[in-house]
Amino acid sequence: MKNTEQTGVFLYKHPELIPDPLDYNELYSYLKGVANVSNIWSYNDFPWNEENIIKKIETHNLNRLIIAGMMAGTVKTLFSKVMAMTGKDPDNVTIVSFNDYGLSLTNDMDRAKALLACAVSDIPFEIVAIADDSPVNPATLVIGGGIAGIQASLEIANGNSLVYLVEKTGTIGGKMATFDKTFPTLDCAACILTPKMVEVNQNPNIRLMSYCEVIEVNGTPGNFNVVVRQKARKVNVATCIGCGTCAEKCPAQAPSEFDAGTTMRKAIYIPFPQAVPNKYLIDAESCIYIKNGKCKACVKACPVPDCINLDEQDQDITINVGNIIVATGYKPFEASRMEQFGYGKFKNVLNSLEFERLLNASGPTGGNIQYRSQDKKGNWIFNNESGKPEKIAIIHCVGSRDKNYNKYCSRVCCMYSLKFSHLVLEKLPEAEVFEYFIDMRAFGKGYEEFYERIKEEGVSMIRGKTAKVEEKGGKLLLRGEDILQGTLIANYVDMVVLSIGLEPGEDNLKLSKMLGIPVTECGWFEEANYNVDPTGTFRGGISMAGACQGPKDIPDSVAQGSAAAARVIQSILRGKVSNGLSTISLSAVESRIKELTLIQ
Amino acid sequence: MSIRVQPDLRNELIKYGIGDWNACYHCGTCTAMCPLSEEGFLFPRKKIRLMQMGLKGPIESSVEPWLCYYCGDCTKTCPRDANPGELMMSLRRYLTSLYDWTGLSKKFYTSETWELGFILFFASLVVITFLFILPSFGIKFDTTLTAQGGVRVNSFAPIGIIEPFDWSMAFVVASLLISNIFRMYYKIIWKNSTTKVSLWVHIREFWLLIFNFAVQPKFSKCDDKKYWLSHWFLMSGYTIMFIVIVVFLKWFQTEEILPFYDPQRLLGYYATFGLLFGLGFAIIGRIIHKDIKFKFSHVSDWLFLAMLTGTVVTGILIHIFRINGMPMATYFSYIAHMAILVPMILIEVPFSKWSHLAYRPFAAYFHQLKKHAVPK
Repeated sequence: MKNTEQTGVFLYKHPELIPDPLDYNELYSYLKGVANVSNIWSYNDFPWNEENIIKKIETHNLNRLIIAGMMAGTVKTLFSKVMAMTGKDPDNVTIVSFNDYGLSLTNDMDRAKALLACAVSDIPFEIVAIADDSPVNPATLVIGGGIAGIQASLEIANGNSLVYLVEKTGTIGGKMATFDKTFPTLDCAACILTPKMVEVNQNPNIRLMSYCEVIEVNGTPGNFNVVVRQKARKVNVATCIGCGTCAEKCPAQAPSEFDAGTTMRKAIYIPFPQAVPNKYLIDAESCIYIKNGKCKACVKACPVPDCINLDEQDQDITINVGNIIVATGYKPFEASRMEQFGYGKFKNVLNSLEFERLLNASGPTGGNIQYRSQDKKGNWIFNNESGKPEKIAIIHCVGSRDKNYNKYCSRVCCMYSLKFSHLVLEKLPEAEVFEYFIDMRAFGKGYEEFYERIKEEGVSMIRGKTAKVEEKGGKLLLRGEDILQGTLIANYVDMVVLSIGLEPGEDNLKLSKMLGIPVTECGWFEEANYNVDPTGTFRGGISMAGACQGPKDIPDSVAQGSAAAARVIQSILRGKVSNGLSTISLSAVESRIKELTLIQ
Repeated sequence: MSIRVQPDLRNELIKYGIGDWNACYHCGTCTAMCPLSEEGFLFPRKKIRLMQMGLKGPIESSVEPWLCYYCGDCTKTCPRDANPGELMMSLRRYLTSLYDWTGLSKKFYTSETWELGFILFFASLVVITFLFILPSFGIKFDTTLTAQGGVRVNSFAPIGIIEPFDWSMAFVVASLLISNIFRMYYKIIWKNSTTKVSLWVHIREFWLLIFNFAVQPKFSKCDDKKYWLSHWFLMSGYTIMFIVIVVFLKWFQTEEILPFYDPQRLLGYYATFGLLFGLGFAIIGRIIHKDIKFKFSHVSDWLFLAMLTGTVVTGILIHIFRINGMPMATYFSYIAHMAILVPMILIEVPFSKWSHLAYRPFAAYFHQLKKHAVPK
């Protein structure tokens, strides 16, 4: 047994974390009573400078320090340094960082206590925290039909297990389906993705539930009851032949979600020609019949009897599954929040998803880069008649690495911006392209080489993010500091592309409560262990894959999709699923600690 | 040429202001945002870089901190909360302490004890003079009134005594400031071993000094004009007051109560209005804490505002009490007025925040000289 007399515990409260979900007074009394530690300092006595720590170490003759709190790792260097200064072993500083164990949900006081008990007895939490198993239902629910969800579904279904793939929109494919090329290989994104989408549709083990949302999750690991709401599609998926006569006759228009608002679609529509399922659906918000009770043009035009039912209502379906994979992806940053870049104000300032569509051979202009223009009804769209830009500037880090918006790096923007430059030069060889960047983060296999290649292609790389975009004489003026040259540059361009970052999906908080898995302070789902279990969660039977865990590019999302599938297949083969860290009780941890210390 | 690096420069600078300047990752947003930053004189990012690298020499010889008028746009848009605007402010305080050869400026900026001690010392000196020393020379608190019913202020504070005192104080302050300006000139222009500026350029550009002193044209280039306007009222009010008190005291401090429209009173009222407007704007701004410009307040900022407000308020009181025939109230307001005014002039003008009245126009002048510098 460790000598607790010479152990000092410091309860740390991170000054920027408000509100802190933990009750530190309760932890204090727990340490005093149960763990038998006498030298404890609560967060309001926390020694912030070297002198105070030295004083505490010397008066109490401490030779082991424990710092416990949310994000306690931030002060570790200070304490290790002081230990070395006082001639003690700097390694004898133990950090108990609660958030590393998913303590961002408020009801986790027992886990905090368990972690403290382990730290005081110097036994790793992972050794004592062994969860029980439960029998598993072999069916799996995958939430989200993007590339990560598709990959996970296919892996599991090809292993002969049943998969329910729930997708919120009318088609699977996610964000990747809208992209033209992938980086750094410049493969055609659709050529990789669409066969997989078709495979999902044809696999007998996959129940594809498009235009559906998970609204309730009950039950325990291995045996979840999930209520899925089938939103009223108003078109019978079984009988629709996808002929498109209805859309031809439909008088109502709305901006196309798939084309990132760069074209208009009808109220009855198919998201894109290769959609899976390749069936029409009706957008209730723009449908004239649903708003006014008059129209039914689609019903009259439809050649299949009773295929369109405009009065169809939402329907709740209950399914039983053993495992759940969350693959809900991300939400693009809303560029108009950064007013200085003029998105939404100047017509030729585009966000990257719009530009992606503009470059796409199946996009609004068939891959020609054109100015934005107004159609007859006044909608801002892209078509092939408005002329080509000659100078295009791409601004990196819009909404990322910025404390006013999102402080994290979105990981993909540097690379897709480089890809944009390449594609622009491919389509408009005479054009000038400028990349305004802060740091070029070409971190993956082949990425740095890709960066070198783009530089050689003649793209102007300007280190220094520009501050604002103004419109002057019909051109867009960018003022920026070229940090490497040490000069100010005023650059007049025709088109500005904002490389917007990735944000956690808007449903993340709702799902987090529903599934009982925590989100990080930024809003991404929290993994069980960043290094060795990146697709696992603290709750048994729930895995995750793709960008819902954090910003991620396509290869990483696919890898995580397979990894999450491996966790699921493992539990199906074993017939059991671990109940997860969240079910481990404090008393179980305490008794395990006792056993282990007796052995010692 | 070797460059001396001072790694603890940040620790020294942090005494002059608040900012997490090491957080800067050099995206250049601040420089690009700044309407005053120009080719060859880029700030604030370059100054942050110098600070991070501990290059005291280049900081000492830079004119850029004086070209910034702190609109706060850089701090507002900084993605790292590195507070570049406040760095520029802190650099101005730091440079003031470097220009000052007496070393008092550094003491006043970094130690509140020194600053408050000096203020109290001079304030008590003024009070002792009026209460004990002057009466011992036969000057009395005359309670009789003039024919108009006004207070006989000139018998209490004879112009023959006050005026020489004003002049000697102005002389001390001016000689300190001028010697510091020569040090500033030496650091910014003279010491530069690679370029030189011809005498003709020195003469030709001299008008800039007066122009910049009078209207602060650079300040008006900031996107938000209200700061410039309120500063201009404050500055013009103060300059007028200073001139009438030091140069035209005989004309300004009269016992006769002149009609309301007399230039003497009108000028006084304008100056008071200008001062109150500028002060009110700054004080309310610093209390509300919303504008970036007023968000971070160093002790020296508050002290300056408090003393100037004290001076203005007691000045108004003297005027009201005098024309309403309240002798004792007038005299005590006069003592309070002088007890605040004297330490303010002695401390703020040569050593602290107020020295910018000289450094800013000279910096605009030096900036122009640097632009016309030719390689040696």
